[in-house]
Amino acid sequence: MRFDWINILTTVIFVSIVVTLILAVASYFAYKVREARRPKTAAELRQEGEMKAFFHQYQPPK
Amino acid sequence: MAKKPLHPFLQLVISIVLIAAVVILTLSIFRYPDRLGPIAVAALVITLGTFLTLLILRHFLLIWFSYLHQRELANDEPLDAYPFVSIIVPAYNESEVIQSSLGSLLELRYPYYEIIAVDDGSTDGTFEKMRTFEGNHYGVQVQVFRKENSGKADALNYGIRRSRAPIVVCMDSDSRLTPDALRYAVRHFKDPDVGAVAGNVKVINRHNIWTKLQALEYIEGLNIVRKAQAFFRTVNVIPGPIGIFRRTAIEGTGGYDSDTFAEDFDMTVKMLADGWKIHYEPKAVAYTEAPEELLDIIKQRYRWSRGILQAIRKQKHLLTRSSGTVTTPMSLWYMIFEGLIWPAMNIFANVFFIWIALMFGMTKLLVMWWLLLTVLDVLIAVHAILMEGEDMRLALYSIFYRFFYIVIIDVTKVFATLEELVGLDMQWGKLARKGRI
Repeated sequence: MRFDWINILTTVIFVSIVVTLILAVASYFAYKVREARRPKTAAELRQEGEMKAFFHQYQPPK
Repeated sequence: MAKKPLHPFLQLVISIVLIAAVVILTLSIFRYPDRLGPIAVAALVITLGTFLTLLILRHFLLIWFSYLHQRELANDEPLDAYPFVSIIVPAYNESEVIQSSLGSLLELRYPYYEIIAVDDGSTDGTFEKMRTFEGNHYGVQVQVFRKENSGKADALNYGIRRSRAPIVVCMDSDSRLTPDALRYAVRHFKDPDVGAVAGNVKVINRHNIWTKLQALEYIEGLNIVRKAQAFFRTVNVIPGPIGIFRRTAIEGTGGYDSDTFAEDFDMTVKMLADGWKIHYEPKAVAYTEAPEELLDIIKQRYRWSRGILQAIRKQKHLLTRSSGTVTTPMSLWYMIFEGLIWPAMNIFANVFFIWIALMFGMTKLLVMWWLLLTVLDVLIAVHAILMEGEDMRLALYSIFYRFFYIVIIDVTKVFATLEELVGLDMQWGKLARKGRI
């Protein structure tokens, strides 16, 4: 039996390129989702002008 | 007042819209081939022809100039006397790696240097680990400072201000210098016009496919490119893990700026704009820990891409003019080409060749294209590995390099560019260290 190497190689190349492109876009999407879900760092909270604390800051009566 | 960042969910929505727009646009170009007029088809063919020509030309030019640089270095003589050197190590939450990094600095075979370690407000015990190195180690003075967290650029400036030497080494706290790195690097300062020397960065953690591919990328891509640029003394990125500077040059630029996410590239552009030459020393090796997972690689490259674009936008006046030299505009245009145009062309070429194969049954063309690129990649990998004296087994990974790795990196670069152009917020995105150095 004689193998048609060109067709086999084409299929391999075609499938790998398509799969990689899909994987690349999906990975980028996954990265963006992970970043969106990540808790904010202290520096980010400072930048936004808010500071989360485990207790409410005591404000002395005027 | 600082602009309030968008809500993360809104940022995600904008990113999704951008991704969808690019995918739909790409598919729509190739969806109805019969509707493409002869001019559109001719434009596509010319674009792809240009891509292939550029690709081959780029590879051969890089190899040729890197060879010339290598030959030039072979004739370089060692220094008679070595200058005093200050090494600045900024660190933020690097408790996993800081001891190994500082330990490597005490093993340098260099006669006269000091170490300035700056803790940038870490919360994981980095400072306490740094403190164990404080003091005099057989003539090497180690000083440890702590400051409020304000970013890497600020921490580097803080350390530079406290250093005394005429030559300053800026490095990352997740890097490890080889014992002779300084000896080889400082010899280039014999030329009074050299303002900085870029070191050779290598990946230390090579135990999975992602880190091996990055190791090859560093050897093949980054270092061959730097060697070629060094032939013209216009290296356009002094890498964060090892940059050696003349104090007068770094002070003349006003120090590192905190307004981009690629402070090393930004600093390099400022030095080139000031008319300094920038050299590269392949024997000044710094080992660094590469991200080990795909999403972490994407995170790193996303930051690099946007940071480079931010620095280019900041210095856009240099694209057209420079203080008496054409090297700065050339350097910036090269970065635009490498960072923005080339990735888009690469993805486009991939999609185009699939389309040709499907639409016109030109399977032989697809195979020939693939073989051409693969042979080219393998040859370049072998050349780079031989020049660097690296592990030849890494050459095997060059087969996967173009068709898997570069596509993923290029997709990230394209999306990062789009997000930078629409002005989406971003954060530094510090990578979690595994402590491999």
